[in-house]
Amino acid sequence: MAERLTVHPPCGRRFAEELLSGYLDDALTQGDDQRVRLHLEDCPNCRAQVEEMSKLREVTMSTRFVEPRDDQWDERPRGTASRLSRGVGWLLVVAWLAIVAGFAAWQFATSPEALTLKTFVFAGVLGVVLLFLSVVIDRVKAMKTDRYRGIEK
Amino acid sequence: MTLDLDRPMAPSTPAATAAATDADLVARTRRGDREAADALARRCRRPAYLLALQLLRDPDDALDVAQDALLRLFTTLHRVEPGRPIRPWLSAIVRNRARDLMRRRKVRRAAPLVSDDPETGVELIDHSPGPADHAERAELKARIWRALGTLSEGQREILVLRDYQDLKYDEIAAVLRVPIGTVMSRLHRARKALREVLGSGDGGPSDG
Repeated sequence: MAERLTVHPPCGRRFAEELLSGYLDDALTQGDDQRVRLHLEDCPNCRAQVEEMSKLREVTMSTRFVEPRDDQWDERPRGTASRLSRGVGWLLVVAWLAIVAGFAAWQFATSPEALTLKTFVFAGVLGVVLLFLSVVIDRVKAMKTDRYRGIEK
Repeated sequence: MTLDLDRPMAPSTPAATAAATDADLVARTRRGDREAADALARRCRRPAYLLALQLLRDPDDALDVAQDALLRLFTTLHRVEPGRPIRPWLSAIVRNRARDLMRRRKVRRAAPLVSDDPETGVELIDHSPGPADHAERAELKARIWRALGTLSEGQREILVLRDYQDLKYDEIAAVLRVPIGTVMSRLHRARKALREVLGSGDGGPSDG
């Protein structure tokens, strides 16, 4: 396309430049709308800017995209049954891990091994647990400070 | 209220349901009306898919995000205020799902968020009347689409919400959870950035 879209230098307008977009989108108050309209009558640069933005918006709004066929929508992910089975699955896995870990800890605590060896093994396990906890704490903190957390997901 | 999403959709929608407003469908769905839920899903899936596609620029990702967002829409429907438009709520869900996906991509493979490759599978349709006008408009649409891919995530997001999705400023403000004045200033900056990209010839290979 031969036409080049240019960026205009600032002019002597007495309002914030973004009001030009508000004017284009019919989103201004009556007073601001009038102020921008009066300025545009005298300012060819701003007028050209609004006309360019208007053309881009019009072309953009008329863009159409190929959409999926109806049958592609039928396979919906994670329905009630799959979500329920996943939840029960996680519950069982966590319960199983808790029982196995408790049994192993009890066996280890009551075994006749030397105290030094027990301390050594315990320190290693504790280190892994602490590392895991630190990652979890960091993730939780990141979620709490996420600026988008208030919006529905 | 929980809907059985495993049940297949009804093959057709009665005229009365098809003519119902979004608010009617939401109210009926919340009361457990399956027919209304199907109609609402059919009505919401197109805008959900298109927004996801415009944000992610990948048809497969867009379909995944749209389906996921629809599921989330139905599980959070009880939190939509009665009589309020459903579209900003749906847009916010799609937008957040899309952001989540983009973040995961960033972490997982450090891949570019947006591809300028014409083989992305995104196909634009043009219905302009005359051949010359058709070609020019189609070219400009393609250039804008490519230029959009070079903008920052925030700029692309607000341009998509306004100029592709045709949301009003107050609806965009609800989706982004920012004041309306911020919407206006961000949108204007994004439009300027888009014009700069188009003017600099970075809008694609056919600018020369």
